Order: sequence, then C-alpha cells, then structure tokens
Amino acid sequence: MATTATGEIGAGGRPVAAASNLSARMARSWRRNGAGYLFLTPWLIGFFGLTLGPTLASLYLSFTDYDLLTPPRWAGLKNYEYAFFQDERLRHALWVTFQYVIWAVPLKLAVALALAMALDRSVRGVGLYRAAFYLPSLLGASVAIALLWRLIFGADGLVNHLLFVILGIKGPGWVTHPDYALWTLIALAVWQFGSPMIIFLAGLRQIPQDLYEAASMDGAGPPRQFFRITLPLLAPVIFFNLVFQTIEAFKAFTQAFIVSGGKGGPVDSTLFYSLYLYIEAFENFRMGYASALAWLLLVIIGVFTAIAFLTSRYWVYYEDEGR
Amino acid sequence: MNNRVSRREFGRLAAAGASLAVLGGMMTPAQAQTRLRLIWWGNPDRDRRTNEVVDLYVKQNADVAIDPETYAWNDYWPKLATQAAGRNLPDVIQMDYRYIFEYARRGQLADLTPFVGKSIDLSDFDPNQLASGKVDGKLYGISMGANSMSYVYKPAQLEQLGLSVPDATKWTIDDYVAMGKEVKGKLPEGLYFSENMAYREPSLETWVRQRGKALYTADGKLGYDLEDLTDYFAFWFQMQEDGLTPPADLQSQAIATGKMEDTMMVTGHALFDFVHSNQLVAIQKLVPEELAITMIPNQKDGKPGQYLKPSMLISMAATAADPEAAAKLMGFFVTDESANDVLLIERGVTGDASIRERILPKLSETEQKIVAYLDVVGTHIGELPPPPPKNAGELDRALQPAWESISFKKADVETAAKDYYEKAKVALERA
Repeated sequence: MATTATGEIGAGGRPVAAASNLSARMARSWRRNGAGYLFLTPWLIGFFGLTLGPTLASLYLSFTDYDLLTPPRWAGLKNYEYAFFQDERLRHALWVTFQYVIWAVPLKLAVALALAMALDRSVRGVGLYRAAFYLPSLLGASVAIALLWRLIFGADGLVNHLLFVILGIKGPGWVTHPDYALWTLIALAVWQFGSPMIIFLAGLRQIPQDLYEAASMDGAGPPRQFFRITLPLLAPVIFFNLVFQTIEAFKAFTQAFIVSGGKGGPVDSTLFYSLYLYIEAFENFRMGYASALAWLLLVIIGVFTAIAFLTSRYWVYYEDEGR
Repeated sequence: MNNRVSRREFGRLAAAGASLAVLGGMMTPAQAQTRLRLIWWGNPDRDRRTNEVVDLYVKQNADVAIDPETYAWNDYWPKLATQAAGRNLPDVIQMDYRYIFEYARRGQLADLTPFVGKSIDLSDFDPNQLASGKVDGKLYGISMGANSMSYVYKPAQLEQLGLSVPDATKWTIDDYVAMGKEVKGKLPEGLYFSENMAYREPSLETWVRQRGKALYTADGKLGYDLEDLTDYFAFWFQMQEDGLTPPADLQSQAIATGKMEDTMMVTGHALFDFVHSNQLVAIQKLVPEELAITMIPNQKDGKPGQYLKPSMLISMAATAADPEAAAKLMGFFVTDESANDVLLIERGVTGDASIRERILPKLSETEQKIVAYLDVVGTHIGELPPPPPKNAGELDRALQPAWESISFKKADVETAAKDYYEKAKVALERA
C-alpha cells in the first residue's frame, strides 16, 4: 500500500519540488504511523496536559510568592536566595536525604545482587522463590507497609518484644528515636530490593557460561570468578541500577511521610527533601518556595546522575565496545 | 464489510443513546436544580451524623442535591487550599478558628450578615460564640459548637491508687506534681503519671495565658516572652527527668501520628492525658474504663488559662453559585431541631440556647459530662484570644521538633527555647 504512493512519484520521473516531496513524505509517514499516534493520544494528552504543563507552571511559580489562596505575586529570585543562604531546615533536610541515599542505595544493590545470584540457578520451584522475593517490592511502597513498619519498630513493637523475649534487652522505640528512625527507613528501602534484583537476574543470564567453565579450568575459585567475571560483565546493569535507584532514593517520600506521620520527626531526623518540600507547599502554604525546591531537587539529581555517567567510563565495561 | 456494518450500527446506537440521555434529562426536571457541595473534616462518627443531616435536608428540599466531601484533619487543609487555588471551593465549608482569618481576609469566604435573620436565625445564639466568627466586623462563620482544653483521666484508676482530683477550678501545677510524686512508686512498669504535653500548642497557650499573656498579639506578633517558653520547657523536661512522664521515645509515638489511638491514655501509658472537651466522646470509645475530664491546673496565682473555643465553624465560599441555597443549608445545620437531634454535641456544645435545652436530655452520660464541664469552665475563663496570624500553623508544628530536641537531649532547654523563639519570630515575618 505504502509503496504505491512512492511508486507514483518516482515513476513519473519529473523533478519533484522539495516541498511537495516533504509533504508526500509526511503523508506517507502519517499513513504508516498515524494509527500509532492515534493510539498514543491518551498518553500524549496526559504528557502535555498533566506533566509538561504543570512542570512549566511550577518553574514560573518558583519565582513567585504563592500561598494558594491569593494569586501568585512575582518575587524574582527571592525563593532561591532563601533556599541558598537562609534556610537551615533545608540544609538539614538535604543532609538527611544524602545520608539516606548513601546508605540505602549501595545496601539495596548489594542485597539485590546477592539474591539474584542465589536465585540464578535451575532449582525446582525457583520461579516461586523469585516471585516471593519480589513481593516486598510490590508491597513496599504502599501505605500499609509503612504503617506496619511503625508497628514493628515502635516502642511497643514486634522487634522490641522479640528482643526482650530472646535477649532480655529493652529496646528503644526504633521509629520514634532520632538516633535510629532514619535507619529503620533505610532498612525499609533495602527490603524493597525486588526490581534491581530482577534486572540483575536478567543481567546474570547474559553472561556466557563458558567463561566460568574456562575460569574454573584455570583454577579460579568462586570469589575470583565473581570479581573477575561476574562483576565486570555485570557493570552496565549495575550502572543502570545505580542511577535508577539513586534517583528513586532522592525522591523518597511515602515511607518517611507515613512512618513519621507526615512530620519528618522525631527532631526532623527523617525529614527527607521531598517531605520538606511537601510540608512547605501544602502545610505552610508556600507553593512558590516549594516549586523552587522542586527545581533545585531536579538540579541536584541531575548533578548526581551526571557524575555517575562521567565516572562510568572508568568502571563500566560494555562487551561490544571491544576495548 | 463486517467493519462497515458495525460502524453503521455504532452510529445508530450512539444516536439512540444520545436521545435517551436527552430524554432522561428531561424526565427528571424538578429534582436537583441546585447542587451544593459540603465539606468537613472529622471522624467516622461525625461523618455518619453529618450524612444523616444531609439526607434529612434533601428529603425536605427536593430541589437541592448535596455532594458531601470529608477528610481527616491533616488532609483537609491541603485539600481546601488546593481547591481555593482552583477557584473551586465547596459552597459550604467547615472552618477552623485558626484558618478563618486567613480565608476571610483573602476574600475566599462570603459575608453572612445579609442572611442573618432570614435563612439563618441567630436570635437565640450566644453572642460570645457568635463573635468568634467575626472578622473585621463581618460575619464569616458561625460556631458549630464550643469546647475547651481539658485533662482526661480514669476516676476508678485514681481511686484505686488512693488519689483524688481536687476541685477543677482550684488545683494548681504544684498539686499536680505532688500527686505525681506521691503515686510514682505505686505504678507498674510502663505506666506513668502523665503524658508529656510539652509539644501541644494548647498546653503552651494555657501556660502563657495563666501568666496574663497570649500566644499571639492582635497584630500578629508573639505574645509571650522567651522566659515563659524556657520555663515551660524546663517544667516538662523536669517531669520527664523525674519519671512522671514517659521517656522520650515512648512519648514520641503519640507525637508522631497525632492520632487519638496513639495517645498515652489510650495505649495505657499515662494516668492523665490532654484532650479537647468535645473529644471526650471519641476517646471514651477507645478506652474501656470510664473517663472524666477536669481543668488544666493553674500556676500559682495564675490568671484563667482556658477559654471557650469554637471547635469548628460553618462558612460559605465567596464563590458559592447560589448563596441563598447555601445559607439555607447552613441555617439547617445551626438551628434546625431535627438536624441537631442527630448532631447533638459531637462538634461541641451549640451556642443556640433553645437547641441546647432541647438536646440536653437526649445526651449520653459522657456527653452530659462535657456540658457540665463547660458550665464549670465557663465561670473560670479568660477572653477569646486574638485569632492566630498567618504561619501560626507552622509554629504549632515546629513546637514538636523543638520539644523533641530537648526530650531526646539533643539540645538543652535554654538553647532549644531560644532557637524556637527566634525561628518563630522569623516565620511570622516570612511570607
């Protein structure tokens, strides 16, 4: 069908003007892809109306004073100045978030990799195990689990009951003590290792088995095989997971919101960046300032992703690069 | 081929469907000419009562349809602010004393004065309660009931421990501490004399009012001195250090969620706890033993710290499409007998004298306690404080981390008090 259109123009042998050529090409591509775009419309409407529009609006709002009740007033760079030079609570929120990212991401990846390797074998029922280990990730981001976390790690919680029964220790309220609260959230994040685990599993499957056979012929034990074969060949997958999980960790919100009752407490010890942003926007009604915070977060995440990409050339090995 | 037929079929079906819809629209013309949206925050009990009143109203006014919306307190204000931003506020709004000035001064609420004496009859309404809904001389909200702060306890438990609560209007903080020290040795592990109320703004407010000051001045500045705050924190820190209140990490459980289920009273960790008087009904449902409430003990030679607060008000959005219909619904909530037979005093004790007389015998034992309590409090109260300024909510929430930095010994009392005080001043000036 599509070839007839081409055929007609080509067969005529006339010098075809560039414009009509273009329109013909567009018509052709529309015939070929039109239905596709048509099917995409819901998504496109969603993207332009619900994602791009509000994103640009928030850029504008970040330069205004906006309390939701009265129309926004232009404030120039005031919000950014406050964020950079005055806001101590923001600095604290950044520090909390960095701590979270620095601990939660590597630990989560390590656990995910360890389990992926454990599950990367053909034992009977391995599919069931994989599903079981993926389960926490399906549940993990939910409100119910965060609430459950409160109950498990609370002063009267399950952990303390176990500690008392087994070891006779009277534990503190883990989620309600400023020295431990962040760690319970890190533990919650690590527990949700499912999606990086699945990606690691796929990556492990890509590694040719003959490499391992050759290595063991040459007398390399499992640790050596791990460091010399598995890790280097898995590097692109590790890189992908690292970038992805770092971005996710910077954006962490639900867990802290639920576990701390939306307050980031105790003593602001779980005040994640996005939680602080939410509090400023919807509790303190500083939508303009919160918009500025959102754009700063975008820049921060961008910087960290860029660092990951720039350093990746030194440690990520792509098999097809033929280095 | 097949395709074509189905397309034609589709067209026919669509046309038929459209005409049906038009017909349907024409066939129910009399009903629901006016749609009103009603929004409130609350709890399941309040939702049930409010929905029942809505049904009553719709039954009597067939030309009105009401869309009710309800949220928990924490979700309510973000929701309402977002709707205000979208010029999409519900017509009738449950308002709080903390927010009524913000909403009214920013032109979000309608002045109710034109409806008073017409669709809203306030002839029997207590003028003091009415005053709480006035902003700059205009009426922007009508109190749906009054309440006051109180301490809640289990009388049988205290009796068993050999304690008796002194006259509510006379007891002092010294009595309170002495009582705690007396009983401390007799309490089983995990049970403490009192919840640590330092983080509660009403507790701080009572403290500074007893000293003749206020949280905020009428022009929106801090109404108390740093010294008052330092003394306040020092007092509650001493209570914690003396073992009269729970240790910080246990207490923080109640602070974090702010839910009644997690309070030290309900979780069985304290003999005394703080509630607003209208909450006695709700907390009684969570505790098997019988509860009672009493006034907050005063400082030595202190002034009255408490006041009668409108627990919530009913307001109309400035954007209401049909103000007359909205006002009529509001009047129904405030003064209709059948409506108040359902509402009773769940939102606080009504300011309408005849309604109050009418519902008094219908009240449960617990509810009657609240009315009796407010009668006592009514004789020992100070004036209604000026409404909280903009950003006051932020200071309320900031009190929690400030107190926790003391209770977890991350900062000493003086430093934490000074830090909070300075930040509070900055926050009040910030946009």
